[in-house]
Amino acid sequence: MQNVSEQNLAKKEESHQIKLSIPNKPEYLSVVRLTASGIANRMDFNIEEIEDIKLAVAEACTNAMTHGEKENSNYNVEFTVEEKRLIIEVNDKGKGCRVENIKKPQPRELEEGGLGIFIIKSLMDKVEISSKLGKGTTIKMIKNIGG
Amino acid sequence: MSLSIKKEYLEKERLWNVELIGEIDIYTAKQFKEMFVEIYEIKKENIRIDAKGLDYIDSTGLGVMIGALKRSREENKNITIVNAKENVNKLLEITGLSKIFKIEE
Repeated sequence: MQNVSEQNLAKKEESHQIKLSIPNKPEYLSVVRLTASGIANRMDFNIEEIEDIKLAVAEACTNAMTHGEKENSNYNVEFTVEEKRLIIEVNDKGKGCRVENIKKPQPRELEEGGLGIFIIKSLMDKVEISSKLGKGTTIKMIKNIGG
Repeated sequence: MSLSIKKEYLEKERLWNVELIGEIDIYTAKQFKEMFVEIYEIKKENIRIDAKGLDYIDSTGLGVMIGALKRSREENKNITIVNAKENVNKLLEITGLSKIFKIEE
């Protein structure tokens, strides 16, 4: 009996990792999107949640490509699949930025940029951005199944 | 994974009808942007974006649309988005752009 419950406990805490290293080139973004939607689809996310995850990941990758190290470099996307949630981390090796400088977009002023981070925060349950000047930026986001 | 754009000037309604099919991200945004430049070189008129075939758009695509709207307004013209799918509508809502663009069913 004890063995069974131990097994259950172990199973509960199990998490699986999928790691991608992607060239810093726009044409590969769809590969990340497809991977994200494939993973989310395997979990119990509904269609709307899968769309949210795809978009949030793409925004983080766009950010990595735009602000990360230019040309001939790769950035990393790491998926951690847990029973009740999906954790995604996108890391670039760019110059980093000051997180406190990220501001809320003002659509009425018709600004063309700055929407990405705002979109991620709107779609995911938890978002952490850490950036070290000279060491790149990591965007960590969590989506819980069933919101 | 690509974007196909069908654009047509409708003389009767005096507007550009632009049909988007596929996905707009950082890869296809350039093509989207060039289309706006191209049609404005031909005729500066109102633009109707038919999004019924648009499966996906992200902030880079929205950025292009904001730029195009800015340009249209300088000419006292407008951009209307019609037939947007649920996920596209949701994005327009959360970014506040549904209040900036004219949205029609």
